[in-house]
Amino acid sequence: MTDTLSLIASFASSALRQAAPLSLAGLGVAYAEKAGILNIGEEGIMLGGAFAGFITAYFTGSLALGILGGAAGGIVISMIHAFLSIKAKANQTISGLALNFFTLGLTSFLFLLAFGQGSSLPSIANLKPVAIPILSSIPFIGEVLFRQNVLVYVLYIAIAAFSVFFYRTEWGISLTAVGENPQAADSAGINVYRTRYLACLVNGIFGGLGGCFITLGQLGYFQEDIVSGKGYIALVAVILGRHNPILIFLSAAMIGLAESLQFSMQAMGVQLPSQAFSMLPYVVAVIVLLFSIGRSTTPAAVGIPYERDKR
Amino acid sequence: MKQRQSSIASVAAIAAATIIFSLLMIALSGSGLTAALKGFARGAFGSSYSIAEVLVKAVPLTLCALSVACGFYSGFTNIGAEGQFYIGAVATTCIGMYLPFLPGPLLILLSLILGFAAGGIWAAVPGWLKARFGISEVINTLMFNYIAIGIVGILLQTVLKDPKAFFPVSSYMPEGMWLPRIIPGTRLHAGLVIALLSAAFIYIFIWRTWPGFRIRAVGSNSRACRCAGIGVGSSIMLSSLLSGGFAGIAGSVEIMGLQHRLLDGMSPGYGYLAIVASLLGGSNPFGIIAASIGIAAIQVGAQGMQRSAGVPTAISNIILGGVVLLILLRPMIMKAIGGKAHD
Repeated sequence: MTDTLSLIASFASSALRQAAPLSLAGLGVAYAEKAGILNIGEEGIMLGGAFAGFITAYFTGSLALGILGGAAGGIVISMIHAFLSIKAKANQTISGLALNFFTLGLTSFLFLLAFGQGSSLPSIANLKPVAIPILSSIPFIGEVLFRQNVLVYVLYIAIAAFSVFFYRTEWGISLTAVGENPQAADSAGINVYRTRYLACLVNGIFGGLGGCFITLGQLGYFQEDIVSGKGYIALVAVILGRHNPILIFLSAAMIGLAESLQFSMQAMGVQLPSQAFSMLPYVVAVIVLLFSIGRSTTPAAVGIPYERDKR
Repeated sequence: MKQRQSSIASVAAIAAATIIFSLLMIALSGSGLTAALKGFARGAFGSSYSIAEVLVKAVPLTLCALSVACGFYSGFTNIGAEGQFYIGAVATTCIGMYLPFLPGPLLILLSLILGFAAGGIWAAVPGWLKARFGISEVINTLMFNYIAIGIVGILLQTVLKDPKAFFPVSSYMPEGMWLPRIIPGTRLHAGLVIALLSAAFIYIFIWRTWPGFRIRAVGSNSRACRCAGIGVGSSIMLSSLLSGGFAGIAGSVEIMGLQHRLLDGMSPGYGYLAIVASLLGGSNPFGIIAASIGIAAIQVGAQGMQRSAGVPTAISNIILGGVVLLILLRPMIMKAIGGKAHD
């Protein structure tokens, strides 16, 4: 019995590690969308974070600096998007897609410049799990939730902070106002542009952290297109989670669970196409969008540039 | 007049910035500039074979970019050409596998029609959701890409799998269904003609017919159309159907012309690249042909550059992404050059 339990615990713990980058990025996306910024370029932001995090950790030998580097990498890409969508009032879908191409090319290019086309991938030691005293000794729960790496704890804190921030602070209300009705928010004295820039900054930080979770927390190396669509899945998690931090985490956990299940089923030799699992989140996302008709949680002004002098 | 000057100047500025930026990247990679440029030119235009390779890539890209444009005319942002491409390819594969006894030309015709229908329906679902319920098509078409790719993966491991093959691929299509080669000794196939005809068809349909006019009207001001009694929903539906249809044809043509069987990862992101091509081509069918050939040349040329001078091929993605970012900045560049921007 204890054997089964520890098996389930290690399974849940691995699902949580799959879910963490999605949740981190998803929180950033939710923040940006609440302010009215659509970001198809989340993939690029995560890739920027994954690359910058790895490079920094590799050359400084410090994973802590690597995490900071990852956040910085995410910020750089996100702020290009911010400038284009806020200042240049560009089409945000196109801007996001272009950033994905740009970052995909740039990271592989810089990576080859730094390391050449070697036969072995340069690698670093992963982030080690840190056991939280007392909490980690709770049976099962402690093993799953409190023996994780530091970025998972950052995620816990962020979920709590975002939950309070979005729904319980005046700042969170103004953020929602900017995304729903920027004109009204502006008349009420809220600086729409500043709020949106700040939102992109936050999105950059969390997208970058989500990206460097992949290189620093999971794999310990970088290669071309290492994020491989996780940025898009983060968008899915936000839709499934209806922009609510806790629900985003739970959706990401479900997706992570499906991924882990798929790995272990393959390991057990179950004959089932892996795509049956991997396409599930997308199918559910479409269904959720369908059922959210009339009570959508997507802010009304998402993707629409704000122009002060226009009605 | 002044506006026109600053418009031309802004295009020149973007082109100059792109070229300088690309040269800088090549120099940064530590490769000889002349060797790299020579490699690029030889790779993209050096021989009839390399020109044919550029066009081979330009065919699916043109068709997908036409697809994106068809949606764009009505304001339907189609991020889903990638998925529609695969669904069209699946339809064609089914025809080849289950009706191999039919004569070749009939198979080709049937494949194009069913490829169009399958891709069109795949896009019309998000189109209907937008027209009927106002659900954003951006996220839906994106989701439909992943669902389509998942379906292809499942089919290739089950009903469509070639039992003799180890990898998940379908068996080869009957040879009568293969599109003829245009230039002997190269891979260039008659799909090029199909792409050109599609561009001409779209031009005529969108600019010379009443439904085409309605689609454009809805795209420029859907509220005014609603007031004037133009069916906004039906125009969006039609535009999404056309949009998916041409991406479906792209998948169909890629099977019949190039791959001759269905395989995983058949498209190296044509559906996404098509959005760039459509933007560069100004959503004009003939502009799109030029833009697609240009993008294909950059990609094929970048491979030549890697072979001869060791410049990473990743540079083509940087250039393409960078150009689009600059184009998005164009109103600001125009403002900076011309003093006054037009709204």
